[in-house]
Amino acid sequence: MSDVLLTGSPARHIGKAKYLLVAMSVLFAFLVHLVAGPESWARIYPEAWVWTIAQSLTVGVKYVVNDLSVAGVTLAELTRGLAGIIELPMLALQGALSEGFRFYQADGSVIKIASLPWPAVMFAVVAFAWRAAGIRVALLSFLSLAYFVMFDLWQPSMLTLSSVLVAVFVSFVLGIMLGILGYRSARANAVLMPVYDVMQTIPTFSYLVPVLLLFGFNPVAAMIATVIYAMPPMARVTTLALQRVPANIGDFATMSGSSRRQKMWMVMLPAARQNLLIGLNQIIMLTFAMVIIASVIGAGGLGGKVYQGLKALRIGNAVEAGIAITLMAIMLDQISRAIALRRPDHLVDQPKPLFQRYPLVNITLVVTLLLVVLAQFIPALHLYPKSATISTGSFWNDAVLWVSDTYYTQIKAVREATITYFMRPVKSFLLILPWPGFIAVVTAVSYAIGGRRLALMSLSLLGFILITGYWQGAMVSLYLVAISVVLTLILALPVGIWAGLSTRADRVVTPIIDTLQTLPSFVYLIPVVMLVGVGEFAGLIAIIAYSLPPGIRYTKQGIQNVVKSSIDAADMAGCTQRQKLVNVQLPHALPDIMLGINQTIMFAFGMLVITALVGTRGLEHDTLVAISKVQPGEGIVAGLGIAFLSIISDRLIGQASRNLQRQAGRRPQ
Amino acid sequence: MPHGDTQPSAETLIECRSVWKLYGPGADRIASRHGQDINDQILADAGVFPAVRDVTLDVCKGEIFVIMGLSGSGKSTLLRCMTGLTELSLGELKIKGVDLKTASRDTLIDIRRHTMGMVFQDFALLPHLTVLDNIAFPLKVQGKSREERYAKAREMVELVGLSERENYWPHELSGGQQQRVGIARSLTTNPEIWFLDEPFSALDPLIRMEMQNEFLRLQNLLQKSIVFVTHDFDEAIRLADRIAIMEGGRVVQIGTPEELITHPADAYVAEFVEKVPRSKVVRVRTIMSPADASLTAKPVHAGDLVGDVAERVLSGEGAVPVADAEGRITGSLKAAQVVAVLLNKEIPA
Ligand SMILES: Nc1ncnc2c1ncn2[C@@H]1O[C@H](COP(=O)(O)OP(=O)(O)OP(=O)(O)O)[C@@H](O)[C@H]1O
Ligand SMILES: [Mg+2]
Repeated sequence: MSDVLLTGSPARHIGKAKYLLVAMSVLFAFLVHLVAGPESWARIYPEAWVWTIAQSLTVGVKYVVNDLSVAGVTLAELTRGLAGIIELPMLALQGALSEGFRFYQADGSVIKIASLPWPAVMFAVVAFAWRAAGIRVALLSFLSLAYFVMFDLWQPSMLTLSSVLVAVFVSFVLGIMLGILGYRSARANAVLMPVYDVMQTIPTFSYLVPVLLLFGFNPVAAMIATVIYAMPPMARVTTLALQRVPANIGDFATMSGSSRRQKMWMVMLPAARQNLLIGLNQIIMLTFAMVIIASVIGAGGLGGKVYQGLKALRIGNAVEAGIAITLMAIMLDQISRAIALRRPDHLVDQPKPLFQRYPLVNITLVVTLLLVVLAQFIPALHLYPKSATISTGSFWNDAVLWVSDTYYTQIKAVREATITYFMRPVKSFLLILPWPGFIAVVTAVSYAIGGRRLALMSLSLLGFILITGYWQGAMVSLYLVAISVVLTLILALPVGIWAGLSTRADRVVTPIIDTLQTLPSFVYLIPVVMLVGVGEFAGLIAIIAYSLPPGIRYTKQGIQNVVKSSIDAADMAGCTQRQKLVNVQLPHALPDIMLGINQTIMFAFGMLVITALVGTRGLEHDTLVAISKVQPGEGIVAGLGIAFLSIISDRLIGQASRNLQRQAGRRPQ
Repeated sequence: MPHGDTQPSAETLIECRSVWKLYGPGADRIASRHGQDINDQILADAGVFPAVRDVTLDVCKGEIFVIMGLSGSGKSTLLRCMTGLTELSLGELKIKGVDLKTASRDTLIDIRRHTMGMVFQDFALLPHLTVLDNIAFPLKVQGKSREERYAKAREMVELVGLSERENYWPHELSGGQQQRVGIARSLTTNPEIWFLDEPFSALDPLIRMEMQNEFLRLQNLLQKSIVFVTHDFDEAIRLADRIAIMEGGRVVQIGTPEELITHPADAYVAEFVEKVPRSKVVRVRTIMSPADASLTAKPVHAGDLVGDVAERVLSGEGAVPVADAEGRITGSLKAAQVVAVLLNKEIPA
């Protein structure tokens, strides 16, 4: 479409040299493939050449944690002591919400204080939701909480809720501090940004191990892992939000004679509060997703229920807990979103004393007190009676049985066909591909897209994976991601284009993808395991399901963002609907679609990590194994492998998309 | 009208001496190496851009000093240098005798808290505070008590006529109302010098006119020393005691509106003044002829605007005597002279 315009420009010659380079690298790869025997070092990186950094790291970390002692105190003792402190707010919250408190006296007797009655907690949450987000969300919250109670999930839900609240609080405070640092000092920001990149892309399981070693197998470790995961986005959001505060607001602060600190805390942060709250909404969702994943290291709660259900193949329990997770995710999202988007109103937000301003707070306090007193006489208010709980566990188990009985042959056929004709060939292709060829091609492509810097980055990151001995694992991970992404795009692009062209379709598609995107990745595993069991095929389906929404969303937005004037021009030129799509809308939407592809890949990598739980075999498997074997080094290095793969593809596609955009800008309209 | 016979008193509040502000890579280095010997060639070679170049001017107590120029001519930058928001590259700038370049951070904070107030083009209201809290904010920064803050803020709210809306949030106000809040807020600390950077540019023409009147009313009441930035020459003429015209970072002329119109320094200034109705700027004293004892009509004042007395002169017998501030007859004004002004003819030097 753009050939006419691009030929003959000087940039074209440089472009040609790049293509030549890529062609040569492909040729080189092919030659190596021809020359190298089946067991050659070029195909299987020899054991003897492996840089055993992973093992050394494991030994080192264990030594530092367990044996290195200062004044007789080892690091583990120190951190576990610290964990005890961090645990306090969490225990307090849990105790209040569901567990109650026990104080052990010196003489061995126990003083018990009961938790708040569940109806009181329910009332408080619903009242808060009502005040913050309106009657609709209040109703939703009520139904969700009622579900938790009736399905005997009250305790795990409250456990999850308190972990989320504490972790969000910590991430929020830390994130704001680091965000301010990044805003104030460009140098600090330049150091922090790449660290955040790695922290956000490295698979969760890798840092679970060191965290486990330091803090033990308990909810605090899970919380710390959660903070590691959720804090970077908050820091980023804070820095960005501060940068977006209109310059004149900062100048006003200076002109009114504010000190540096007054300027930050009285002007800049409050002025940025809308964006900060949107960031808060994001970290609540991230935290929630992570708390669920952290069930693997003993966070318990709803995630733990799902995990145990899946492991024991008690699908019914997993589904019930999965629904609870879904409800809680939607509830948290709706409430925090409403808070973020809310703007004050002079009719409502009058400066009044606190107790007059929030009448609901008073009512809630009164109701709570009343219920606490009543609960002394009516035990059912404390603990929802077991006899009144419902379980649909057997229904789900039956349903799964029925599905697999009835559709056994169909499911099996699809699965076998996909594996035989698609998955296995790709996998073996990547596995027999000689690594020097692979690295050469990726490096050449990086050079063609982003010049020397990008080429150097790809080369060194791939080199790291190779020499640490994780090449095979990386290829297995890559194969699963690549196949999933291709299949996802085959589904996402048409749906996205359809939703972009038709408002009616958009109205159906958007709420669905919005809801899907609030769900923690972990939840996706449940129906997949129900229907197709475990294994790489299950992993494939889970990844596709998880990365479908962003692919659809970006394609849709790309099509919708095409400027009206170009569409009108096409209409005037008498294009058919189809010509218009192919010649105008798709080319214009290309940069957005590229972003969508990038997001799809990032989501695929995100889900890949978790598919280790249903038996996939790549680097993600290594990180999971590292948890059970308590090998922090192996976990981290394998995890870095996944992080590096996703960083490479992110940078390549991001740069390619920017190149395209620049080209589109240059093209006369 | 702020201008007339009164001459600005001699006390200078702001002194700019050969002020330069350079932007671009290595701007500081260039400035320290070449000092005031800097020239176009050096700047071009280094790729450094002079947003303000070699500006020397004084702002006196009690006057409205307007900085006028097209977009990008360096008005805001000059204003920001005066407030210390931007550090100057070269030259000297004193506020009430305090050199901004050598002043400590605390001195600056102190000057800003008590001596300066500023109004911004896009209002720069704090979105998280009500009207009243916005206006009270500068006092909060100073650690004043709640009662004192609100008492003063209520006074200011009243002054700009927003009493009914003191509990509104900024996003619930119109642009004009928001700027009233901005104005009130800049005056809460009762500053001696009042800076306004294109305060009315974001408003509709009608509202702009209304706000200009409001501004003049306040100034009559408060008698501040004012630095007012605008790119609208009509606004400058309407409000200014003196105008500095900027072009490409330079101040090309400083003078009263009348001086600019009668003696434009160059073609650039002439182009601006061309379209201005002279009758609204030129005063009787500028065009009058020598006194003529035969005239008996009631005299007009030498300081009056020609436009204001035109009807009287033209409806009378062809000429009127002109009296100075003390009532002495110092000249005469002929109908032909008035007509020439009304027709926007050139005024002979
Ligand atoms: N921080 C900066 N860095 C680099 N160049 C700047 C900076 N601030 C201003 N400039 C340049 O200095 C010149 C003068 O800018 P200034 O904002 O003072 O113009 P202005 O006269 O106020 O224009 P406007 O009427 O549009 O507000 C402009 O060319 C601008 O690009
Ligand atoms: Mg400006």
